[in-house]
Amino acid sequence: MSSTIHKSSSFDSSYDVVVIGAGLGGLGAALNLALSQKSVLLLEQHNLPGGFASSFVRGRFEFEISLHEMCAVGPPEGPLKGPIRYILHDESSVDVEFVPVPEAYHLILTGKEHKVNVKLPFGVENFIDTVCSAVPETPRESLVKYFDLCRECSEALTFVARSKGNIDYKILMAKYASFLTTSGYSAAEVTNKFGFPKKTLDLLYPYSCYMGLPASRLDFTIWASLLHLYITQGAYIPKGTSHQMCAAIDARIRELGGQTEYNNRVQSILVENNKVIGVETDDGEKIKTNYVITNCSPHLVYGKLISPANAVPEEAYKLNNSRRLGVSAFVVYMGLDASPKDLNLESYGYFISPHMDTEKINKSMLQCENMPDLTASICLNNAIPNCSPPGTTILSITTAFGIDIWKNITPETYFATKNKLARQMIEQVSKALDSPISEHIEEIEVATPQTFSRYTGSFKGGVYGYDLDPWDSLVIRSQVKNKEEFFKGLEFAGGFAAMGHGYNSSLLSGRQAARSVLWKMKKEGG
Amino acid sequence: MEVYGRSKDMAQASKMQRERKKRWKNASPVPDIEDPIKELSMGLHLKNFQLIITDILDATKTTKTYRLKLAPNFELKRLPLFRAGQYLSVKVNVDGVKVTRPYSISSAPSDILEDGFYELTIKIKDDGFLSTEFFEKWKTGNIVSVSGPHGNMYFDDLRDSNEIVGIAGGSGITPFRSIIREIVAQKLDLKLTVLYGSRHEDDIIFAEELSNLAGKLPDKIKVVNICSEPSENWSGPSGFINAELIKKYAGPIEGKTFFICGPQAMYEFLEKEIQNLNIPNRRIRRELYGQPDNITMNPKYPVEFKDKTFNIIVRIGNKIETIKASATESVLVSLERAGIGVDSQCRSGECGFCRSLLISGDIFVNNEIDGRRAGDKKFGFFHPCSSYLLSDLEIKIPSFKFVKFSPIK
Ligand SMILES: Cc1cc2nc3c(=O)[nH]c(=O)nc-3n(C[C@H](O)[C@H](O)[C@H](O)COP(=O)(O)OP(=O)(O)OC[C@H]3O[C@@H](n4cnc5c(N)ncnc54)[C@H](O)[C@@H]3O)c2cc1C
Ligand code: FES
Repeated sequence: MSSTIHKSSSFDSSYDVVVIGAGLGGLGAALNLALSQKSVLLLEQHNLPGGFASSFVRGRFEFEISLHEMCAVGPPEGPLKGPIRYILHDESSVDVEFVPVPEAYHLILTGKEHKVNVKLPFGVENFIDTVCSAVPETPRESLVKYFDLCRECSEALTFVARSKGNIDYKILMAKYASFLTTSGYSAAEVTNKFGFPKKTLDLLYPYSCYMGLPASRLDFTIWASLLHLYITQGAYIPKGTSHQMCAAIDARIRELGGQTEYNNRVQSILVENNKVIGVETDDGEKIKTNYVITNCSPHLVYGKLISPANAVPEEAYKLNNSRRLGVSAFVVYMGLDASPKDLNLESYGYFISPHMDTEKINKSMLQCENMPDLTASICLNNAIPNCSPPGTTILSITTAFGIDIWKNITPETYFATKNKLARQMIEQVSKALDSPISEHIEEIEVATPQTFSRYTGSFKGGVYGYDLDPWDSLVIRSQVKNKEEFFKGLEFAGGFAAMGHGYNSSLLSGRQAARSVLWKMKKEGG
Repeated sequence: MEVYGRSKDMAQASKMQRERKKRWKNASPVPDIEDPIKELSMGLHLKNFQLIITDILDATKTTKTYRLKLAPNFELKRLPLFRAGQYLSVKVNVDGVKVTRPYSISSAPSDILEDGFYELTIKIKDDGFLSTEFFEKWKTGNIVSVSGPHGNMYFDDLRDSNEIVGIAGGSGITPFRSIIREIVAQKLDLKLTVLYGSRHEDDIIFAEELSNLAGKLPDKIKVVNICSEPSENWSGPSGFINAELIKKYAGPIEGKTFFICGPQAMYEFLEKEIQNLNIPNRRIRRELYGQPDNITMNPKYPVEFKDKTFNIIVRIGNKIETIKASATESVLVSLERAGIGVDSQCRSGECGFCRSLLISGDIFVNNEIDGRRAGDKKFGFFHPCSSYLLSDLEIKIPSFKFVKFSPIK
């Protein structure tokens, strides 16, 4: 019997780069580094990759944990093909298949003022047609112009992202004038200029819920880009859940010579003279490296990981404190023993709410006595029919809560609170869709901010990085990036990094962090 | 801003940049590290914590109930709460062999709130590697390492009927004792009928206690003991629990939820009986039974392999080690025997905690419960606790270094 195996090292003594966390950001970073033939070690505390981008099994069902739809994938070929597809397929040969989501969203508003039951399609023209026929008083021309503005902002954002902080303002002024004009304003400020009737806005705004901010606080450029990309490129999901996509990326990293290790928590990022010199794992093993890409938030990195702690400048804490932590999520996952048809579930994604007032919706997320106003439901079978056994359905209902809202929940009140909220959400959806959900629940699981904290270790259970207010927008973040680097060799990836949250941004930010490290290595003649 | 007039001054963008600077400058320099959500999480489950045995109650000639409280010096306010029916994964080190075992918590969540304890009721199996150890060596004052609570066999008012029929066999009574105590403590509003199968009368665990508790709330709790090999003095029902007995004691099936917990043999027998009763899938919850006593009893097991032994090349990070393994033991058990170990919880293939990479070789997966994710099947991951060797293997297992084991001396 040998117990010696646990004493010698599992790791090389040093690596070009150590990536902390195998969420989408960490995976994206490690993939690009492995592709560039750097020695890379990816350390993940959990026993599988993905972070929030994962799945779990109950009985006969495998549930998608977080994904509703992925942006920036686009069709397999042609001008609308998106960067995610390019990076995963063309650049990195990752074995992942994408399935299109059938419609943009099915909106159901149940309030007295404006009752709505409309399915909004992809494609700008189709989308506009549907809005105009559902709300005939919509000024069509303005809506066409609005989408054109969104396109320009989206293209400008890509241009800014590519210029890595050295933006060529001449090109920006010449090609993306409206982007400059609208930059720094909120979605509401710009959109209101178009004078759309409130009913039109009701149909237009649902996607903004994915950003976790009301229109008055959400940076317009980001909103415009999101709307444009979804409506033009469509939305996709990976075949076989996000876990399958993450397992594919993990497999490819290993194939390319990278090392990925699970059940390995990084306890400290070791620094000396404001420079990264290595990391230390939970059991005290030290690994040398000059570059660390971290998938965990600046809150955790500066608050808990940097060692010695007194190496962290006050400026770093202040910066963290000046920013706003995004929302956390609440999801009811159900495996139902009836077909989607028997359950009256004809669409893939539903937004259901009494109203579409984004201010009111956001306010309703700042308490947890009762469910917030808006839910987003996904019937996975309507994109992937065989995702569950014949005659069954996978349905999830999601809502969000402000980051501090669950802080007074105790273990004693926890189970009752979550079941009460889940029951209200199931009732809301049942009623809106005339669907006998509760008579068919074979499996049910409810994830709360506590659940997300438990599995990913995310700070306060947040799932959404820092809020994308106009003063903390992608453009501003990319302009100030260099000034906010407190340690040489430390880069951030994932939802808390400059590009913000979401599957596509997290993956892309990982790649961006890797490119940045590669560039620095080259500059140092490494 | 003038969208159509196209003023290009970016005034607002610059203003926002100043705004960001201002917020930065005026922000508090105190690191924000308090995390109430993490604290909540620690009040509900933990990866590794230590308990102390404060009492040992003899339940029957082959079972003991251990009362466990938080070990002194452990930084926790209180034991993690749970839902009646869940289990703990106990981590033990027997002479260098580190193993885990799942045990349902036989006490109720309300016992934590009132007296701060869990109880585990452990039955010795004649050939049980560990239960013998427990029986002989666990003493009052010993420290026990556990993780949890885990598990999915609990009452959920969103899914289950509040009329529950429990079917228990042997030590499978433990989660029902927890539920019953919780009903008596008025924390669960359920009607519960338990059909409890034992071999002899003196094998019935908690006979007196459960009958007393049921007597307190006769409208809500009913416990029917059924003996398969009773003595002459036995006046209750006898035989195996079958469809007829279920109908007789539980009444109409319609609208009730069934919870089943017992040894593997009981599940196999009940499977057909349950089919006869036409209970919909969603009305049946089965607790896992851990690793099967004998994999060759699985009709799908390729018996020609049963006497074979193989080699496993085991990688942990950069480390490599080769071990011998017998075909009829799960890969997890072989690893544990070799002193390597992988952390595990359910040991039934379901929870995915032992997820490892199969680099090469063939395995037989105990197909009763294959809790693997589709992506894991595709990319060569397997659950060692429910996998058996059909050839030499090369595998990569996650490191297992943070778990503390309670040594059994
Ligand atoms: C319910 C829900 C629904 C969502 N819906 C969508 C959607 O429809 N579309 C969309 O685009 N986005 C959606 N999102 C958002 C999206 O999931 C996230 O923005 C994205 O996955 C964040 O990725 P990340 O790279 O920041 O990594 P994370 O997922 O945060 O992963 C970080 C990883 O680091 C690990 N880690 C942390 N600390 C350490 C340490 N010290 N040592 C080692 N490892 C560590 C963690 O275990 C984790 O695996 C949703 C999120 C949720 C929760
Ligand atoms: S321990 Fe649960 S699947 Fe192996």
